[in-house]
Amino acid sequence: MTSKSKIALIAVALAVLIVWAFVTVIPLYWMFIGSFQDSAASAVFKPQMIPEIWSIAPYERFFHKAAAVRWIVNSVIVASVVTVTNVFFASLAGYAFAKLKFPGSKTIFWALLTTMMIPAQVTLIPLYILMINIFQLGDTYTAIVLPAVVSVGNVFLMKQYMSTLPTSLIHAARIDACSEFGIYRKVILPMAKPGLAVLAIFTFVAQWNEFFWPLLVTKSSEMRTIQVGLASFVFAESTDYGAIMAGASVGALPMVILFFSLQRYFLQGITVGAVKG
Amino acid sequence: MARVEFKNIVKVYEDEKRGSFTAVKGSSFVIEDREFVVFVGPSGCGKTTSLRMIAGLERQTSGDIRIGERVVNDLHPKDRDIAMVFQDYALYPHMTIAENLSFGLRNLKRPKDEIERKVKEASSILGLGDMLSRKPRELSGGQRQRVAVGRAIVRDPQVFLFDEPLSNLDAKLRIQMRVELAELHKRLGATIVYVTHDQVEAMTLGERIVVMNEGEIQQIASPTELYNKPNNMFVAGFIGSPAMNFIDARIGGGQALLAGGTAFPLPEAAARALGAYEGKPIVLGVRPEHIYGEAMAPDRAGSAKLEAHVQVVEQLGAESLVYFRVGERMVTARVHPELPVALGARQTFVLDAAKLHWFDPQTEQRIVF
Amino acid sequence: MRSTTSHAAGSGAARFRQFLRNYGWAYAFIAVPVLLFLVFTLYPVGWAFVISFQKYGILKSTWVGFDNYTYMFKDDVFWKSMRNTVIFTIGTVPVNILISFGLAFLIFQLKQRAQTFFKAVLYLPTVASGVTLSIVWIAIFDPTPSGMLNRLLIQLGLDPVIWLGQKSTALFSLMLMSWLGSHGSGIILYLAAMGGIPKSLYEAADIDHASGWKKFSRITWPLLKPTTLYLLVTGVITSFQVFISVYLMTQGGPDFATTTIAYLIYQTAFNFNQFGLASAQAFVLAAVIVIVSVLQFKFFSTDIEY
Repeated sequence: MTSKSKIALIAVALAVLIVWAFVTVIPLYWMFIGSFQDSAASAVFKPQMIPEIWSIAPYERFFHKAAAVRWIVNSVIVASVVTVTNVFFASLAGYAFAKLKFPGSKTIFWALLTTMMIPAQVTLIPLYILMINIFQLGDTYTAIVLPAVVSVGNVFLMKQYMSTLPTSLIHAARIDACSEFGIYRKVILPMAKPGLAVLAIFTFVAQWNEFFWPLLVTKSSEMRTIQVGLASFVFAESTDYGAIMAGASVGALPMVILFFSLQRYFLQGITVGAVKG
Repeated sequence: MARVEFKNIVKVYEDEKRGSFTAVKGSSFVIEDREFVVFVGPSGCGKTTSLRMIAGLERQTSGDIRIGERVVNDLHPKDRDIAMVFQDYALYPHMTIAENLSFGLRNLKRPKDEIERKVKEASSILGLGDMLSRKPRELSGGQRQRVAVGRAIVRDPQVFLFDEPLSNLDAKLRIQMRVELAELHKRLGATIVYVTHDQVEAMTLGERIVVMNEGEIQQIASPTELYNKPNNMFVAGFIGSPAMNFIDARIGGGQALLAGGTAFPLPEAAARALGAYEGKPIVLGVRPEHIYGEAMAPDRAGSAKLEAHVQVVEQLGAESLVYFRVGERMVTARVHPELPVALGARQTFVLDAAKLHWFDPQTEQRIVF
Repeated sequence: MRSTTSHAAGSGAARFRQFLRNYGWAYAFIAVPVLLFLVFTLYPVGWAFVISFQKYGILKSTWVGFDNYTYMFKDDVFWKSMRNTVIFTIGTVPVNILISFGLAFLIFQLKQRAQTFFKAVLYLPTVASGVTLSIVWIAIFDPTPSGMLNRLLIQLGLDPVIWLGQKSTALFSLMLMSWLGSHGSGIILYLAAMGGIPKSLYEAADIDHASGWKKFSRITWPLLKPTTLYLLVTGVITSFQVFISVYLMTQGGPDFATTTIAYLIYQTAFNFNQFGLASAQAFVLAAVIVIVSVLQFKFFSTDIEY
């Protein structure tokens, strides 16, 4: 390609990307900027692009009308527990599937993997009956967390990641009289830290944003996660755009901050074990 | 220290896709106490699998393995009293060198002062003193190699196992480490089992060498014996560099008739032993260093002469490699650098009659006499 | 010294101990995921299958044979929801893949720093939840003339639209939201794959005087096929289950114009408490997803290695 057409291509690329980036970000910008404008008087959401007067009244109304602090605490608890269990159990199982030889390993792994195609809707109803009617776990953290303790997708991701670690280290540790769990804890885990970090971040974000299952198993306002709480707030206060945007900002901001501080992991992370699996 | 014994060891890998693959086909041998034995062969010959079975990292499909007086078939690696040095060194990247060295002893719950003493000993033997607090990634390849050896020494095992330990080093460092390993063996007086694909490494290090090919042991012998009396064409071709030349021939009336038309009379002993092959095809093996230019042939060389067109000459300084064709096969001669050779010219070469090898073309075994 | 070869294995108990010693750890390591899989996936799937042939009640369930299935196939709303789901999927998944690919291709032309910047910005909506995005888009689709999108239309001299409130535009609105939404994952996967294509292939093409289009159609696109396939399969599976935006923005309306199959299942089960019928619907959804996924693999899979 000649340098002239190369420059033209880059100019076009920049123009298109800037426009598209603008379109992509503007809804979130509106949300954020709108949450600082007191639009209670008007039933229409009409934020000024650059507000003249900043107001925290929408936030006051949101926290006043909703059990928002409790929702955030719930989300933090649930997402943290799910993250810890996923990192631990998925890395342990992923290691076993990647590096240990045992009868049935391939069969079990493929059995797990193929069921990823089954949509959640199929298992949802029996799960709901099981949790709510049989175990009587409605409105508890346990009900929210239990089905999410470790996902098959994460086991798959960890298997892909673990298989890139050198096997000779495992052999060396075995000769060095390390127990099998010791090999996992003292040799594999320290080496797998970057992969575990990616897994932790993605699990946390996914669980923070999870909506459907917490919606089903929580009844009282106190047990809702921030996402479920927000949805209920939207239905209850559908005219107070300011407070709704404040709530949406509260729900999204922790993840946006997490994204910008750990950008590197986000932008490389999802390629782990994706296509080349 | 201890001896290591293989008795009818078979290793079969089952693979769902490719079916079963026999990596080791019934091998038996004894490695004596304090012996330095090298396993050598092309990749996939079963040498590394054999080493791993000694270590207990893989379990043999059938047969018995003994270390010392114990049958170790079902013993965990940690109970076999062995230590291993890996091709990629397998140093724990997140631990310091001191932690790497002491990891095994700490797992075995040895007393602190003993661990400290042994780490100190090993690091002084290998000159690792000032690296103990560093991480493996801060070390050069040669230094990592030393740490890997040190980790084995610290364990004070009955048997040391080396899996291609020098193959990741550059040529210069490899020669230096070869010397150090030989010294280490003398100093420790340990039984060493060493795997390599490099026949030069095998020849320089091994007291005895096990040559393997396609899962089968081809020959177990000292380096000189392997060189002088290879069991078969595989060993003959594998040991020595440049490799032994093979020339198609026939025996007739006490003469060897080479492909391409040359003939020379056989020495008496050879003529008698090869009588059974009268009129039949046979393979003549001769090492490049046992072919001389006529002008410079020693007197004892005898009358095995052949004429050929020189096709390529490689000047190496201390010697020259001359390539010519005999029948279908290309033959290499390793000659004195001052031998006058002209490309394309017809030249007479003399084969050292005392150093000729004869092989049966069907069985590829050496014909012994 | 006792010899214990593999042939002369001891009693059954000894053999079991040996088995445990060799493999016990591995089974322990996978125990929790496998257990959860059995309790929370396999068992529920079997149970759901049973329920789909029942009229489910908390205290007592009655067998109804294929009634749930026959009712479902005669139900207009079911077919409407299927149609909506298929339209939504066909309308969004390929478009979004093309958008992701196009954006990735453009980003790929830039220098490293600019690449990182655009990757980060375009990825941003991916970390926002479906609830957050739905809330924002409710505001954007506000039907009054002072709604955000309507103001834009008026500025362009067009009439305002009741985006989510009328049958003709409701489903389209949801698709529009999807197009303008997040392409973060797709872009990053495509960029990683583009970076993995050996430069030598393009250099060889240059030597052969291949045109830009030829290089694209003969090298870039075919070598990115595995990524495209991955995005297609996962995109279709996700799209068949679209729920949050429907739940929050339209509740399936107006007049079932945006009722997707996932939303229908939710309503059947949790608004109308018909667990049997909902399970039957879920199984049909599962069957469709499996069939479509298998077909995609069949038609689009490649053996390209590079």
